[in-house]
Order: sequence, then C-alpha cells, then structure tokens
Amino acid sequence: MAQNAVATASKKPKKEKRSQFSGMSKALVRRETISAYLFLLPSLIFFIGFVVLPMIMCLVYSFMDMGLGESGTFAGLSNYVRMFQDPTFIQGFWNTVLIVVVAVPTVTAFSLWVGSAIYQMKPFTRSFFRCIFYLPVVTGTVAVTVVWKWIFNVYYGVLNQVLGTNQNWLGDEKTAIWCIIMILFTTSIGQPIVLYVAALGNVDQSLVEAAQVDGATKLQVFWKIKWPQIMPTTLYILVITTINSFQCFALIQLLTSGGPNGSTNTIMYYIFDMVYRYNDFGYANAMGVILAIIIAIFSAIQFKFAKTDNG
Amino acid sequence: MKKTKRVLALMLAASMSLGLAACGGGGDTTQSPTGGNNSTPSGGASGDTVELTLWTYPVGTFADNLDATIEAFNKVHPEISITYETIDYQNGDTKVTSAIQGGTTPDLIFEGPERLVGNWGRSGVMVDLSDLWAEDAASDIADGVKNASQLDGKYYMYPLSVTAHSMAINYEVFEAAGALQYIDEETRTWTTDNFVKALEAVKTAIDNGTVNVITPGIVYCGGQGGDQGTRALVNNLYSGYFTNEDGTAYTADSEQNVKALELLQTLVSEGKLDGNTAFVASDELQAFANQTCAMTFCWNYSNYVSYAEQTQFTPYVMAFPSDDGVPELEMGIYGLGIFDNGDQAKIDAAKEFIRFVCNDQTQATECIKQTGFFPVHENFGDVYAGTDEEETKAPFALMSTYTGRFYNLTPGWTEQRTNWWNMLQKIFGGTDVKTAVDEYVSASNANIK
Amino acid sequence: MNQAKSKLSGTSSAYKIVSIIILILLAIFFIFPLYWIVTGSFKDAVAINSREPVWFPTSPTLENYVKLFTRPAGRWLVNTVIMAVGALVLTCLTAALAGYALAKKRFYGRGLLFTIIICAMALPKQVIVIPLLQEMNTLHLADSLWAVILPTVGWPFGVFLMKQFSENIPNEILEAARVDGSGEIRTFFSVVFPMIKPGVGALAIFTFVNSWNDYFLQLIMLTSEKNFTISLGIATMQGEMSSDFGLIMAGASLAAIPIVAVFIAFQKYFTQGIAMGAVKG
Repeated sequence: MAQNAVATASKKPKKEKRSQFSGMSKALVRRETISAYLFLLPSLIFFIGFVVLPMIMCLVYSFMDMGLGESGTFAGLSNYVRMFQDPTFIQGFWNTVLIVVVAVPTVTAFSLWVGSAIYQMKPFTRSFFRCIFYLPVVTGTVAVTVVWKWIFNVYYGVLNQVLGTNQNWLGDEKTAIWCIIMILFTTSIGQPIVLYVAALGNVDQSLVEAAQVDGATKLQVFWKIKWPQIMPTTLYILVITTINSFQCFALIQLLTSGGPNGSTNTIMYYIFDMVYRYNDFGYANAMGVILAIIIAIFSAIQFKFAKTDNG
Repeated sequence: MKKTKRVLALMLAASMSLGLAACGGGGDTTQSPTGGNNSTPSGGASGDTVELTLWTYPVGTFADNLDATIEAFNKVHPEISITYETIDYQNGDTKVTSAIQGGTTPDLIFEGPERLVGNWGRSGVMVDLSDLWAEDAASDIADGVKNASQLDGKYYMYPLSVTAHSMAINYEVFEAAGALQYIDEETRTWTTDNFVKALEAVKTAIDNGTVNVITPGIVYCGGQGGDQGTRALVNNLYSGYFTNEDGTAYTADSEQNVKALELLQTLVSEGKLDGNTAFVASDELQAFANQTCAMTFCWNYSNYVSYAEQTQFTPYVMAFPSDDGVPELEMGIYGLGIFDNGDQAKIDAAKEFIRFVCNDQTQATECIKQTGFFPVHENFGDVYAGTDEEETKAPFALMSTYTGRFYNLTPGWTEQRTNWWNMLQKIFGGTDVKTAVDEYVSASNANIK
Repeated sequence: MNQAKSKLSGTSSAYKIVSIIILILLAIFFIFPLYWIVTGSFKDAVAINSREPVWFPTSPTLENYVKLFTRPAGRWLVNTVIMAVGALVLTCLTAALAGYALAKKRFYGRGLLFTIIICAMALPKQVIVIPLLQEMNTLHLADSLWAVILPTVGWPFGVFLMKQFSENIPNEILEAARVDGSGEIRTFFSVVFPMIKPGVGALAIFTFVNSWNDYFLQLIMLTSEKNFTISLGIATMQGEMSSDFGLIMAGASLAAIPIVAVFIAFQKYFTQGIAMGAVKG
C-alpha cells in the first residue's frame, strides 16, 4: 500500500509536465472537456456574470478619461503613461512591495510552524489554538483597528506604557508601516493555520510511518514526505497572502490615511482615493489593472517556484 | 485552431451564464432573500403617487426626526411617499460616488455645500434649484449662505441651518492653570498673544502637576477629518486668508499664514502644543474628552452633544485666537439638494419636500433644532428662545456671529484637503515652513482649472 | 505513529516545551483584542475612553446593546446570516465541483481559465464594485442581498482553494471508480467529495466569515435600512466627529457569536478529513 503511494507521488509530476493531453485519445479529450465544463458550469455562471464582466468593464474604463457622472472619453494609454510619472503612485508601489516582501514569508512560515506544532495535539487543544489564531479575522476590521489605535496611542497607549516609551507609533514615518504590517500579520495568519492543520492532518500516514521505519529523522520526514504533500496548500496560502498583502487597504484607511508623509501610502489606498475622493475613474482603473498584473506576475513566479502543475 | 476553440468555449460559457443571470434577475424579484420588494417603480410621471428616497448624513439628530417630518408632510402631500436612509461620514462619499456611477442615486440628499455644490453640483449630477431661490420665502436668507449654495449662478442646494466651527477649552484646567485671564469670557475671543500665554500657563501647570492633562493642545494632521479646525486656527492667528477674495487661488503662502504656521511649528517644538501626525479630529476630540489635552480645535454643537456623556468637565466654547482679537470662523451650512434622475415628476415632488422642510416655519424650526444649529431664515429669529437648550446654545449662537469668508467652493477643494494635512505633517516633521507652504500652494493651485 | 512519538529525543521534547510556551504567549496576544472588544461592549462612554485602561468593566452596563437594538439590529443580524449562509452554500457547492474539474480533468481552455481566475482574484474589489453596481442596477438586484451574495459566490478564491485540495486525490482512485462503471456525478459525490471534505469545511468557514466581514461590498450594494447588514447598520449610527466605541464593540461582539458558532460547527469536517486520509492509497 505504502509503496504504491510512493510510486504515485513520484510519478505524478513527471507524467503531467508536457502536454496535459499526452496519452489521451481524441474522443477521451472531448469527453473530458464536456464533463469538465459541466462541472465548471455552476461556478462559471457566477464567475463570468459577476466577476469577469465587471473586470472587462474596468479594463475598458482604464483607457478612458472619466470623471464623476460622466460616461467618459477615449484616452488611449494616457492613464498608463501618467502612472509612471506620478510620484505618489511610485511611492505607493514601493511601500506595497515592502509590505508584501515582509508579510508573505512571515505569514507563511509562521502559520506553517503553528500548524505543525498544533496539528498532532489533542482535538480540544488543537481546536482551541486554531480558534484563537482565527479570532482577529472573526472580529472584523473596524473593531480590531479601534483596539489597535488605542494600543498605539502616543499619550496613553498600552504599548508605550508597557515599553516605557513615548513613541507616536502610527505618527512616525519610521514605525507606522511596521505597525500596519504587524496588524496585517495578526489578521492574516488565521486562514493559513486552519488550512495547514487540515492539510497536515491529510498527509498520508502510511508514507510517514514507512519513512520512520526506514530511520528517517523528523526533519527528513517533514521535507521529504509532508512538504510535497502540503505543497498545493502552501501554494494557495502564498498566492492568497500575496493578494491580501498587495490589497492591504482597510487598515491603512482606518489608521493612517497613508501618512505620515506618505510612508504608509500603498497602491491600493491610492486607487481608493482616486476613485472615491478624486473621482478620476479612468486613472484608478488603470492602476487597478496594473496592480492586478503585478499580482498575477508574483503569483506566476510562485507557481513556477512551487513546480506544481497548473495546467 | 486550439486557441479559437478555447475562445469559443469561453464565449459560449459567457453567453450562457449571462442569459441565466439576466433571467434570474429580470424574472422575479420575490426570489430575493430579503423577501422585500426592492424594485422601486421608477415612474411617478404616469401614476398618482411619487416615491422619493432621501439620503442623509448624520447632522445632529436630523435623521431621528425624519419619521415625524415625513408624516407631517404626507398630511399635506399624501401623493408623495418618502423613504430615507442614513449614511455615515466615514463611508458616505464612497457610497454616493458609486451610486452616481452605478445609477442608483437617491432623489434627495442632506448635507452641506462642499459636497452638494462643490462636488456633485460641479459634476453636473444635481438639479438647479434657482426657482426655489427665486421664491419669496428665500428672500430672508443671508447673502453669505446664498452665495455658498450656488456655483456660476446655478443653485444646487437649499439650506436649512447654519453653524460656525469653533474651538473649545477645558474650563477647569484653564482655571487651575490660571489661564482664564487670557480669554475674554464676554465675547469668547482671545488674541494670539494671549493664546500663547495661555498655552504657556497650561504647560507650566502640567509640568508642576497642578493639572492632570498631558498636553495643552493637539494640532492633528493624520488625515483630512476635521481640517476645518486646523484651517481656521492658521487663518485666524495672524488674520490671513485661505484663498483670495474671489476664490480662484489658494493663498496659504501669504505672509500672515506663513507667520501663523511658523508660530505653530515653534509652539510644537517647545512642547506647548503637540503636532500629532497620527490623529484626526475625532481622535483629538476623544483626547479632549478624556482630558489628555486641554483644548480642541474642532468644536460645534454637534460635537458638544456627541461627547456630553463623557466630558467630566466644562467644555467652554471659544473662538479661534486672532492677532487683532477679531475672529473669522468657518461657516457650516446644511441643506438639501436633488439628484438629477431625469424624472420631472420626482424632481417636482422633491422640491415640494424641500419647501416643506426648509421654508414652513413650524416644520423648519423643528428640523433646525434637530440639527442642533441655527436657522438660515433671518425671519425665524431665535428658534431656541424659551427652550431648555437656550442656555447651552447661547455660546454657539454667539460663534455664528463671527462667521467669515466661505471659501469651500474653490475649485480643487478635494485635492487641497489632502495637500493640507500632508503639509502640516511636513511642518511638524521639521520641514521649513516656507518650503512646505509653497509646495502646498503650487500643488493646490495646479488643480484649479 | 504512537511508537514513533515515544521515541522522541531529549532536544525534541525541549523544543516541544518551548513551542508550547511560545504558542501560549501568542494566544494571549491574539485573544487580547477580542477580550478588549467584548469587555468594552459592557463599558460606559467614560470607561471605554478612559486614559487609564479599565481592564475589566467595574460597573458593567448593557447600555450599548440597548442602543444597538433601538434600531432594527435584530433584522440586520438576520440579513447578515441569510447573506453569509447563502454565500456559503452556493460557494461550497459550485467551488467544489469546479475545483475538482480544474484539478483532475484535462480539457481545452483549462490553462486560460486558470489564468483568468488568478487575474480576477488579483483585481482589487474597490475598483470592480462600480461596474458591478451598474450591472446589479440593470438586473434590478441593487439594494437586495443578492447583490452581495452573487459576487461573493463568483469571486474565485473558493474554486482555487478547492482545486488545490483536489490535487491530492490520487488519480488511481478516480480510475478505479471509472472502471467500476461509476458515473461522473456519482464519482464526485461518493469518491471526490469525502476526500476534499476538510477543504470544503475550511472553505465554508472562510466564505461565511469573509462575506460577514465584507463591509465594503455591503456598503456599496445595500442602501435601504431594512436590507442592512449588522456592520453596515452600526456604521450608520456613528457621528461625524465621534465614534461610539461602545456601540462598535457591542456590534462586533454580537457579530462574533454566529461566526464562532459556525467555526466550531465546521471543525468536525477537519477531523473527518483526517480519518479519510487512511482510506487513501
């Protein structure tokens, strides 16, 4: 049984590396395509109807010059050109990159650590910890930021009281973005931990046991057996955390408005400002498209890196 | 070949889902999980009844009284039914912006000229209310208010009530610090010199433990919330102006305003004021309420009511300090506007409602009281006379006699607001005042077309 | 597995103790905001905004909850539950089917479709809502809970998650089912679904919580008070220059209860998933 599974695990990636259709007859491909689309249909209705359609509209708007209450005029690539000459956008880009580069690895590594530390615990303890780390997600951004704002308050905040400092955490260029990243971290790890616990619990125990019989160390078991099996989960976590970090917005809106001196201004916050404060829809949509492309590139790199079959 | 097939498959799926979505949507709305009837009939033109929607920002308790107002209105106009929704300041603009773009705007909206005229009126989505203004009933509205309701001769707002944005001090702290000698309790004004002396007195009292506050005052600049306070503070200190007289250019770089900002920078560096780059007005008010600071730069009757429950001291209304002791306060005007949804019957009905709410003395008086502010109609006199509120209202009424130039309709206002707090952040971060102000003025004037 | 555990070396158990200590410290850190919110909801305006932290409400008050229910907060709560459950059921069903197809079927357009899915997730919601509102308005669905449910179901996070979970299904099992003459639908429900159950459980929770907390979409789509969700309703009760922290915290505490309930209810699916692991191979 175990050998069979090992063989599967090692054979799978190789087999699917080239064309997805290799070794399939034309009739089979047709049959598979039809049945696949039937499986996809319910989801596609919602996806195309309520995501892809508006998405296409965004793409169209991004080539237009459009203000409040206007139907817009064609503006060619001007919105895209403007972006690269806009210091606020460029500043926002680098702040966003900083958030992503710090948050994504920390969130992924930390949730993997918590996941592996708790998944073998007794069901109650496991549920308890999983629940605790998920709490910041449950409580909702508005209420959580109220608490954090109070913790970071310069005059009577708990953080200053505990550390005996007199720091304006959210009002200082050097610290504000780190406060944002910290809060983002607490609200981001809940979902990955839930997923890692589920994925680790799903690892084929027969393989683990077989390896242990062969005298593999814990670390070896983890890297050789568990890690490949939780790879799809890791990939999902990486992509989702990347997207969430790139789109980090509500925290900034509620805590710093992008300040001080633009140090927490992110692309997402700038887009929001452009839509709802300056009502420059064309430009905002163009930035949205570029943000989506940047995220897609990051995701593609992660897929490549993870060497998982993505079709 | 392969590619075209892919595209074809996708297109097929797309058209299928679209068709389904359209059926699901258009077909029957009772399917809605709310079970409610959410497709409001749009035509009032043919039928007998007109249905209007009104969105209101939370101005005082205006919304709380709307049920009664609408009921009274329906006695006169049973053919017009009105539903109202409250929207909040944090998210209201977001909601209205998307409603304008999405075609779901309400018929009526209650707020001030910055939004109704400067923002939506300028964008051409509001109905011109010139006919309402031409009526007799509008003849006793002050010119200042009238001018603030229009843009290039088109009136996009009909006002209900007016207030002046002032500041407030913690009376007991000032008393304990011996700083009351620097204010004129009669007129509730003070000179810039006395303001500085008062700050020094409070600071000394803090340092030797006489009073239990942390800082005399907080100049907040963590966002645009409540920027009317910081604007008024800077403008008054040396009687500068925010814009030129005809409202075509921002003039914060005037000699007076540079001097004012330099004074604030010095006061902050000496610890007599705190420049807080993380706070907006609501944070500062919160700090005023729990006695972290001894004054607030963002005070009006509405805030007085909101914080009454937690202020365990006397918040004492004051005008902004001015070198000549003559303050010029920023006016806050609140009124109704109509979104142009292209349905004349609705527009007419909405105008009828405006007449009822703003001009009918009985109704208007009640509504004005709910906003907590003062009537725009001079003929209405003192609406609070003889009520329990007369005494608490008196200082606020006094403030509204100090109102000055209304510059909030200057083009590029929205952009200016962001530039303003960013400029203050730079100044409190140590940037040379002249440099920061020049940058602010050129950036803000660049948005004036 | 148990024997393996007993063979733990000294360093390993030291590591275990250290990690438990770290976990407990972190747990306190993570519980604190919720603790503060729940206790805050029972404080009066003075205590909640006090300069000296009031660690525990000395004179607890129900005032915030009373204030909350002066408005139709009960109705808002019901709306929120309908919305979140509606989104949950539809998402789990459609995403499980689609994710399986994407992971295990070989078909034309698969790569393209997956690329579009990733791009769609990457596009910020704050931009997409305006055309979405236009669309909902055209469909006469604006200001109904459908306007919030439908885009939530369409958002392809669920499909992506289900695809990742379905990848672990060994092809041999599917092959065996096919050889046995099991139809596509039967294979899915009797073979595939039980194996991806832990994923579906996780997805159920995520969808429920995300749609519960997706304040932005609700804000744009819902305008009538009778259709409000709880978070939207509380927001409209805030003043211009004042935030009623007590009210916010009462609302958040109230809203947290159903979420925690759903979280606990779906926990068993994770455990079942672990049991299913043994069936594999």
